Amino acid sequence: MEELKYSKISQAVRRFDLRRRKLGSWAYALNHITGVGLVVYLYLHLAVLSLLLRGPGAWNTFVSLARSPFVLVLDVILFAGALIHGLNGLRVALTSFSIGIRIQKALFSMVMVVTVIALAVVAFKVFGG
Amino acid sequence: MARLDVTLQVFRYKPGEQTRYDTFDVQVADTAFVIDALDEAWALYDHSLTFRHACHHSSCGSCALRINGVEKLPCITRVSDVWDGKHPIRLDPLRNFPIVSDLVVDVKGFFQRMSASQMRITRDAEPVLPVSVDTPAPGVQPEAVELPDNLTRFNRFENCIECGICMSACPTMAIDDRFFGPAGLAAIYRACQQTDDPAEKAHLLALADGDHGVWRCHSVFECVEACPQAVDPAGKIMALRQELLARRFKKAERK
Amino acid sequence: MSAPHVIIIGAGSTGSATAHDLALRGLRVTIIERGEIASGTTGRNHCLLHSGARYCVTDQESAKECITENMILRRIMPDLLELNDGLFVAINEADLAFKESFLQGCAACGIPAREIPIKHVFDIEPFLNPKALAAVQVPDGVFEPFRFCLAFLATARQHGAVVRRYTEVTDLLCSGNSVTGVKVRDYRTNRVETLRADLVVNAAGPWAEDIAAMAGVKVPVQPTAGVMVTLDYRLNNMVLNRLNKPSDGDIVVPQRATSTIGTTSWKVEDPDLIEIPPEHVAKMITQGEQLLPVVSKIPTRAKMAVARPLINKGDADGRTVSRTFECFDHRYDGVEGFVTISGGKTTSSRAMAERVSDLVCNKLGNTAPCRTRDVPLVSYRFFFQ
Repeated sequence: MEELKYSKISQAVRRFDLRRRKLGSWAYALNHITGVGLVVYLYLHLAVLSLLLRGPGAWNTFVSLARSPFVLVLDVILFAGALIHGLNGLRVALTSFSIGIRIQKALFSMVMVVTVIALAVVAFKVFGG
Repeated sequence: MARLDVTLQVFRYKPGEQTRYDTFDVQVADTAFVIDALDEAWALYDHSLTFRHACHHSSCGSCALRINGVEKLPCITRVSDVWDGKHPIRLDPLRNFPIVSDLVVDVKGFFQRMSASQMRITRDAEPVLPVSVDTPAPGVQPEAVELPDNLTRFNRFENCIECGICMSACPTMAIDDRFFGPAGLAAIYRACQQTDDPAEKAHLLALADGDHGVWRCHSVFECVEACPQAVDPAGKIMALRQELLARRFKKAERK
Repeated sequence: MSAPHVIIIGAGSTGSATAHDLALRGLRVTIIERGEIASGTTGRNHCLLHSGARYCVTDQESAKECITENMILRRIMPDLLELNDGLFVAINEADLAFKESFLQGCAACGIPAREIPIKHVFDIEPFLNPKALAAVQVPDGVFEPFRFCLAFLATARQHGAVVRRYTEVTDLLCSGNSVTGVKVRDYRTNRVETLRADLVVNAAGPWAEDIAAMAGVKVPVQPTAGVMVTLDYRLNNMVLNRLNKPSDGDIVVPQRATSTIGTTSWKVEDPDLIEIPPEHVAKMITQGEQLLPVVSKIPTRAKMAVARPLINKGDADGRTVSRTFECFDHRYDGVEGFVTISGGKTTSSRAMAERVSDLVCNKLGNTAPCRTRDVPLVSYRFFFQ
């Protein structure tokens, strides 16, 4: 009897469908996205640092690019990503061994609140000051 | 008694055919449950609409499906809670199970896991105590209640009704089809509590420690949110992790 | 020569227990169910494993059968039961006056019964009506009808029985004056099939008349609905019964973390389309309040109603084997190869199965004895494996 089974790829994609999902799924999806983002950033960062091997000229060109508003916005996003990934990671580490498991949703809310506040401060310092 | 005119949008699948949604208009009492509406659609319009149900009071676990995309038991979900007067109530089968026909899923793999967990379906019960009915709190630890003669212990069915809702809600089940799953792991935890035999406990813990056991959980907690019986599968998974770690440390100490 | 093939229509408690009995006697069994196992009458059962005490004054034959089957089920499915006994509680003077005949009735039927000092009862049942005057303890229990059927069927499958769910009998095949099989539609694929059998057992509960009509015979089954209300809190440790003659809403069955009040009785035309009368639901609450006054403050978790297959007592004759359930050999209607089993209660389904299996084996020339009293059932989980 032919049963309907969705393909692995289809299932893998569907697990990130956050419609009608609870906070825990949002935390999970965000951790995945920020994790991938941080890995991509790591490679970019290494590639950028390797410019140092090419001498002061190449490095200076990069630094002037790094001051552009576009890159500064990316930096702020990077900061947010690192904060979310780190703080949520802490939440996962704790709840994985039953610590704080009853307040796991509140912990995620705290992670996001802290991130938003820190983000506001950093954005102010980067663009305002 | 007020009546509601309700529209159901039901997932249909027969082998060899394309999946589709069928629309059924039914009239039910305003106090009716979703299973009543589904049953009416079947009775009035289409006996080929296959769906699982038996007890209609959240004891058998067979009717689990998704209502408007969210895993629920239709026998304890009131129509008035999911009907907004306009948008059809969408009924889909559980996720992460092979679909046999329409809303019926294949639960063979699920019951293989529950068998492997060796959880007995009955447990010692907490005696009913006169707590405030405004905040009923089952499982309150009693001081010794004086009971005559043979009435010293009560037993009851385990919280878990093996409905599979947690398995559907769990994203790890979606990507790892050999994952033991929240229900299976919670059952292993209960089975460990039910047995005094250290060899059996060790066997069960080894099962939980395996490649598709507790370490695959990503702490998403959808299982806890979705469970209609307050089993708290994630809590039990984390408790198993604690136990496994504790045993590893004890073994390391002894070396 | 291979064993005779029996087709059973309906996988409720009767059909499931019959599949188990016949398979154990070495017959080839196919059981056909149009929905999920126990999706008919059996599923929406009150879940009470009767001690029989309820009937010990008004229907002693039924009472004796209940206590016998109660003890057998404790032996063959020990892990599928909540075994906390039950109490028959007197709330007023009229109830108290019933106590003597109740205790005598229990003794006459072999039902262990023991009066418990009422002040002790309040310790065990803190939500019991404080006006309660007396209580008698009896061996009531609680089961779960879906797994009850699965356990019988899983054991039957291990002995070769085939279970077809989501498959509806659309007609009986007849050759001359014999039923020779069934025509079915398998709803998983919408395909029509023909299945041949040496004998067909009609265990279709309130739909038995519809099936019997396919062979041109009548069975006196009156679909009679009843409603039950499940509360979202377990208010009692033990089954609570009103100490009096049976009436509506006089039993509260605890199960897991709930308490279910039941039941009522009204005739229905179509067992597939039952409307729950709100006054019946209200009556469950008011009756439940007599035993547990706090009932009206507890949210309702579920409501269920289904038709029981009650036998119309109007035509008792030599065919009827028992007053609690009835077994009809339709050769007395001029049709061979076809029997109907109806009535009864889930507590006595094993006994019903034994009776109809004896009849079936008699007709088919099989002399194997019934073994269902003693053979323990395998885990219900094996049904799906």
